[in-house]
This record gives sequence, structure tokens and C-alpha cells, in this order.
Amino acid sequence: MQSLADYIRLYFIIEAQYIKARMQYRADFIVSSIGMFFSSLATLGVFWVILKSVPDLAGWSLMEMIFIYAFYMIAISPMQILFDHAWNIRFHVREGTFLKYYFRPLNMMFYYMSEMFDLKGLTQLFVGIALLIYASVQLDIDWTPLRIILLLITLFSAALVQISIIVAASCAAFWVVDSYPVLGLAWKLREFSPYPMTIFDGPFRFVFTFVIPIGFVAFYPSQLFLRPEEVSPLVYFSPLVGVGLFAITYWIWTKGVNSYSGTGS
Amino acid sequence: MSLIHIQNLTKHFKILNRREGLSGAFRDLFSGNYRTVEAVAGISFDIEAGEIVGYIGPNGAGKSTTIKMMTGILKPTGGVIQVNSLAPYDNRIRQAQIMGVVFGQRTQLWWDLPVIESFKILKEIYKVDQKMFDRHMDMFNELVGLKTLYSQQVRTLSLGQRMLCDITASFLHNPQVVFLDEPTIGLDISVKAKIRSLIKGLNREHNTTIILTTHDLGDVEALCQRIIIIDKGKILYDGDIKRVNALFGAYRTLKLQIDNFTESTLQQLKRSLTDCFGMKHGITIAETEEFWTDVTIDQARTPLSDVLSLVMNNFPVIDVRILEISMENVVQKVYDGALG
Amino acid sequence: MRAYIPVARATYMIGLVYRFGFLFNILGNLVYLGVAYYLWKSIYRYSDTIRGLTFNETFIYVALGSAIFILLKTYADWIMHFEIREGAIATYLTKPIDYQIYALFANFGAMLMNLTAITVPTALVMLFVFKVHFPSGLGLVLFPISLLLAFLISFSIDYFVGLFAFYSESVWGLSITKEIIVTVFSGALIPLPFFPDAMQRVLLWLPFQAIYHTPLMMITRPNQGLDIFLSMILVQLIWAILLFLLARLFYNQAIKVLRIAGG
Repeated sequence: MQSLADYIRLYFIIEAQYIKARMQYRADFIVSSIGMFFSSLATLGVFWVILKSVPDLAGWSLMEMIFIYAFYMIAISPMQILFDHAWNIRFHVREGTFLKYYFRPLNMMFYYMSEMFDLKGLTQLFVGIALLIYASVQLDIDWTPLRIILLLITLFSAALVQISIIVAASCAAFWVVDSYPVLGLAWKLREFSPYPMTIFDGPFRFVFTFVIPIGFVAFYPSQLFLRPEEVSPLVYFSPLVGVGLFAITYWIWTKGVNSYSGTGS
Repeated sequence: MSLIHIQNLTKHFKILNRREGLSGAFRDLFSGNYRTVEAVAGISFDIEAGEIVGYIGPNGAGKSTTIKMMTGILKPTGGVIQVNSLAPYDNRIRQAQIMGVVFGQRTQLWWDLPVIESFKILKEIYKVDQKMFDRHMDMFNELVGLKTLYSQQVRTLSLGQRMLCDITASFLHNPQVVFLDEPTIGLDISVKAKIRSLIKGLNREHNTTIILTTHDLGDVEALCQRIIIIDKGKILYDGDIKRVNALFGAYRTLKLQIDNFTESTLQQLKRSLTDCFGMKHGITIAETEEFWTDVTIDQARTPLSDVLSLVMNNFPVIDVRILEISMENVVQKVYDGALG
Repeated sequence: MRAYIPVARATYMIGLVYRFGFLFNILGNLVYLGVAYYLWKSIYRYSDTIRGLTFNETFIYVALGSAIFILLKTYADWIMHFEIREGAIATYLTKPIDYQIYALFANFGAMLMNLTAITVPTALVMLFVFKVHFPSGLGLVLFPISLLLAFLISFSIDYFVGLFAFYSESVWGLSITKEIIVTVFSGALIPLPFFPDAMQRVLLWLPFQAIYHTPLMMITRPNQGLDIFLSMILVQLIWAILLFLLARLFYNQAIKVLRIAGG
């Protein structure tokens, strides 16, 4: 049986090898990183253009939007980098190659996800960090040690929320042949995460806060740092949302893995 | 206590009877009309440590369902199954430590990495200590020259090389039982021989139990002392291979493509073969795919060459193929009570 | 050319099979519409007109833009990447087919499927749920022509990018970059009038606005007069022909690589 320390060590060993192998394709790495760079800034570009014509977006200034956006970029990086293999579940399931993941003395989700490490996601992470520093300087945010710890905790749980949404959507592949659209929809929703939740009311606000809580990926946690006085009690639940959602996703994964009995005679 | 103990094992699947058309698909969503398929219908056997057992049967016989239950993927519907005294399904991770699995077609190694790196990762996963690792890697090198492949990426290997790597990798952690599924499929005869001797060598080294599922009877002949035949979820035969071998080893199937083949040609063919050799001498004729006729011959009683020259002299034969007896035929004969 | 019609029909039929997929695509589009609605509502909080457009005009623009976006998004580059990587391209080369025409018709069939399954429902939702008012005029008549030309341009660009798969394993980076450039600079994401004037002047010279901005203008401002519309269509036509031929030339170059390297 493997302990947590075993898993961590194993992960480093596997990924070190994987990265070494991928680095051989240098051109691919550079081109994809450039592509990643552009695609990750696209929505920010939209905000930038809009905020040239109006003073603020639902009461949020450009710099505050940049902060939220940077938070979002960092928060979705773990999903991008560590869980990229989720996109291929439907291929493995269809071709029967998914079976091999049952045979090692390893947790299956760990084993499956460890097979891919998306290097270009690092570009997004670094740009996000740079933007976050830039925005906090411009906004004159006071980074006390407590605040930094809070930042790390909220980033961690925001990452869990994003991971959970995508992985849960990818599990549709265990039951349905034409499962890609579910993933596609989940991916699209990600785009709306940096939007200020205050622009929504009624059913939309409800869905994005309680059902598919993309609000917890960037907007709600960011409030802790941007407008700490105005923070609603909801925000302090962020870590719970992240952990709870991941538990649900893991349950879905387990159900999917058990129901899949594979092809072949 | 045997290593693998199976008693009255059953596995049922619920299959949806899909209704036709769009409205049917819609109704299916609400009230599923299921039928039960008995993939495994009550089988029992015990396997001891060190045995090499051939587990054969036609497609859809329940082979892979049984294997999946032994490896802990599928939960049985009923009966008892224990591997090393534990129920596989409830102890997947723990059981995985004492098992090795190899699929004929798909590799379990890391596709983009050099071969040696896959072994090193497996060493970490299975917690193989350095001494055993070195000893095993040396043994693998002795048996099949593995060192020459160390630095090659798995994706660049030929099918045969990959199989050698996959099989040796499955023995790295000194498992108690290894499941080999179609280990020689798609390989040419020299590589097959190499793989068979590898498997024998590995079995000898640590007295590892090996369960071999294959459609290649040559594998079975070369490796197995014991053979279990399964069909339609039930065991047809479980015993010494010598009996089966005696019965089928000498069989050959002659596939003929005869020009202008009609029903009357079939009758003529039957008559001339009966006249010449007597049908009781182990010859059966069947029309299989379009344009092909199968003549199955027991060489122990009637030489193939005689049958072939008779047919070629009297019928307009366009094409000929000679095959060893097929799995389907073996099972059919067992059904017919050939083994009693 | 007639020989290729069955190709379009085939991709259309394939679309019928993937019902589940379409359901989610429509759902995704509706969600996008809702989000866009709220977003622009809050943007228009301060004034009724921004950059010369009212909220209604902008919303039609964005909502229709998304419907058309799905319509005109060909996956030509992704498909080509896949076919070249799998070696399936060899089957096309051995047949007496013009690969570019083949790809065009195949994508056209898919486009028609998207039209029926997504665009039309979206338009209906806009009319009856959001109660959006479509002004009428000459533009509506010319809209289908403009759309067709837009499709040709979009296809040619995608096809062009797809050809890079002959040279490199990784088309992802290129495709994504292309997508961003096309999406942002074509007016599909934000109406072009919102861009700074300097940028707008540059963008007018690029083919991207001919994909989304032009047809959208025909629907949102259908009364601009025949001469204006004709010049817009002319621009589209020029780009369509130019890009199609450019892609053809590139193909002739790229295919040599395949023949020499062995694929």
C-alpha cells in the first residue's frame, strides 16, 4: 500500500521522466506555449477593450479585474497542468486501453492523471503570477503573512473547484459514447469564471454559486483581498466548496471506473 | 489452501434491449427493458502455485470475464473467488502487488519513455528493493538480451520487442501469479519461440503461477501442463493437456476454394473423400465463408498430402490454405464428447 | 463539383447521430447568451449608447455573433491534423479527388448541420424568449450570400493553418493562436466599434472582420443602402478567392513534403 509520501515521490519520478521525454520536442513546446499565452489572455483582452468605453464593470475597475483575472489564471493552472489527461478518457475507454489502469497497486485516478503533465500550462501560471503581483502593487494591497496564507488557501480550494468541474465532466465518457460535449460545456463555463458575479442575478447567480460554482474559482475568493470590508460570509466557505466538490467528483470517478467493464471477449 | 480458489462463480450482466427508432430511444430513457446475460454461469476450479494453466475458449465464452474477476476489476454476482486467500474485488490495490498482467495488444509501459525508465518506475511502484531489481534485470538480460533495448523509447519498439518488455516487466516485482492474455498474437514464429521460452524460464525461476489465455494452440502445447476450456460461461474441460493434445495435435484444416462451387460439388467432394478414405477416418467437411470449404483432417489417421492430391486431381481448386485446427473446432469436438 | 455533394450529405448525416452532443452545444450556447446578456446589461448601466450602439443593437450583435460563430467554425485544421497524423491522408491522395474541394464540401455538410441544429434554435430563442427585435431591410436579403462567403473565408484560413500539420507534429499552438486572432479581431467577441479607432482602421484591412462583422452588420443594420452592402460583399468575395487560392498554393508545396518524407 502506498502512503501519501510514496505518492508524492512517485509523482516526481514519473513526471521528471515525462518532461525529459517531452523536451525533445522543443518546437512543439515553444509554439504551444505561445498559443497558451494568447489564449489565456483573450478574455482579459475583452475586459480591457470594454473598460476603455465604460468607467467600470459592475463597479469593478480595470485593475481590480486584472487582479481577479490573475487569480483565475493561477487557480486554473493545476487543472491545466496536472489533470490534462482527463481529456483523453473518452479515447482510452473507447479503445479499451483504459483497462491497464486497474492492474497496478496504485490509486487509479493518480495513475491515470500522472501520465500527462502539461508543460504549456506553466506559461499560464507564470503570466498569472506576474499579473497578480502587478495588480496588487497597483492596487496597493497590504500583504501581511496572514493574508498570504489566506491567498494560498483560497488558491488551493479554487484550483480544486476547477479540477472537480472538469474531471467530473470528463467522467461522462464512462457511460456515453458521445461524451465530448459535456467536457466542452464545462470548459466553456471556465471562461466565465473571471466575470464579476455581481452582474448576475436570479437563476444565473444561483447556478454559478451553488450548482456549478465557478464563482468560487476566482471572483468570490478575490473579494477577500480586494474588498475585505464588503465580503459576504459566503466567501469564507470557499475551502469547503473546493474540498466538497472534489469529494463529489471522486465519487463520480469511482462510479465510472466500476461501471466500465471494458471491451473484449 | 490453493493460490486461486474459485467455487460456483457466476457473473450476470444486465443488457438493455434497445428499442427501435427515436421514440424507442426516448422510452428507453424511462423504462429500461433489460435482459440478463450469464457471462459466467457457475464455474469452479483451484490453481496451485507454480502451475502454468491454459485458459481457452472461443470469443464470448466468458474467458475475459473470469480473468477480470480474478484480477479484481469485476465484482462477481455469486460464488466464491479467492486469490491468495483474499477476494480480489474488495482488495484491488493489495492484490495488484502480487499480480502481473500482460495484454497482447496494448502495452502497460510508458509510451514515450526509454524502456529502462519504465522498469525503474515500476521498481518504485511495487517497492522492489535494489538487490531484487538488479537480479531480475540481469536475469531478463540473460533470457532475452533486454539490455540492448534499455535506451529505446517504447513507442519505437517492434511488436515482438514490446511483448518481451511487457512480459519481463510483469515479473519484475516477483508476483505470485501472472496473467498473460494473447502474448504471442501477431508475431512471427521465431519471436513466438523466444517468448515461449521466456515464459518457461520465468515460471521456473520463482515458481510463479501463470494463467495463459490464448487462441494460439501452439502456445498451449508449448507451455501448459493443464488446460481449462470454457464456453458459454461453463467449464467444458479441466485437466491434463496430454489428453487434449493427443486428440487435436495432429489435426489440420484444409481450406479450399473450388471454382464453380455448388451444392452438388459439395456432395461430390464428400463422396469422393468417403470413397477414398472413408469418412470415419477423422475427416469432416464444412462450408464456411463464401467460396471456401473447410476439410478437417486427423493426420494421425489420414495424411494431409493424400487428401490434398485427391482433391486437386479431381476438382478445379483455385486456392488452398492449410491451418492448424481452430479453437472453435476444438471446442466443438469437446462438446461432441471427444474428451468424454 | 457535383461529385462532391454526397460528401457534404455524409457529414450532415453524421451530425444526426450525435444528438447528445447537439443538446449540449445548444445548452452551451444558451448559457453563453445568458451570460452575455447580463454582462452587457451591466456595461450599459451608465449610458444608453456606447460607441454609437444601443444595448439592443449590441446584444443582437453578440448573440447572433455567437450563433454564427458556431456555424462558421470549421474544424478543418483539427481534422487535417488528425488525418495527417494517422496517415489517413494517404487514402485521399490515391483517389482522383481534389483534397481542398473535398475538405470544403465535408465541412460544408457539417456547417449545414450546425445551421439546423444550433443556429435556427438560437434565433428562435432570441425571437421568442429574449424578445429581441430584428429590424428589417435589404441587409436581411443579402445576409445568406454574405454568410456563404464568410464560410469560404473561414474555411480557407482553417485549411491553411491545417496544412502546417504536414510540417510539424504540433498544430495545437498554431490553431489556438489562429482561433484567438480570428475570434477577437473579427468582431465575434466584441463588436468592432468598441475597439480603439486606431485598431479599427488596421482591422478593416484584415480578412477577419469579413467573417463575422460583415454578415452581422447586415442583420443589425440592414438599412445601410445597396452600395454599401455591395462593397462589403465585394470585399468578402475578394478575400474568399484570395485565401482559397493561397491555401491551394500552400497545399502544393506541403504535399511535396509528404511525398518526399514518406508520411
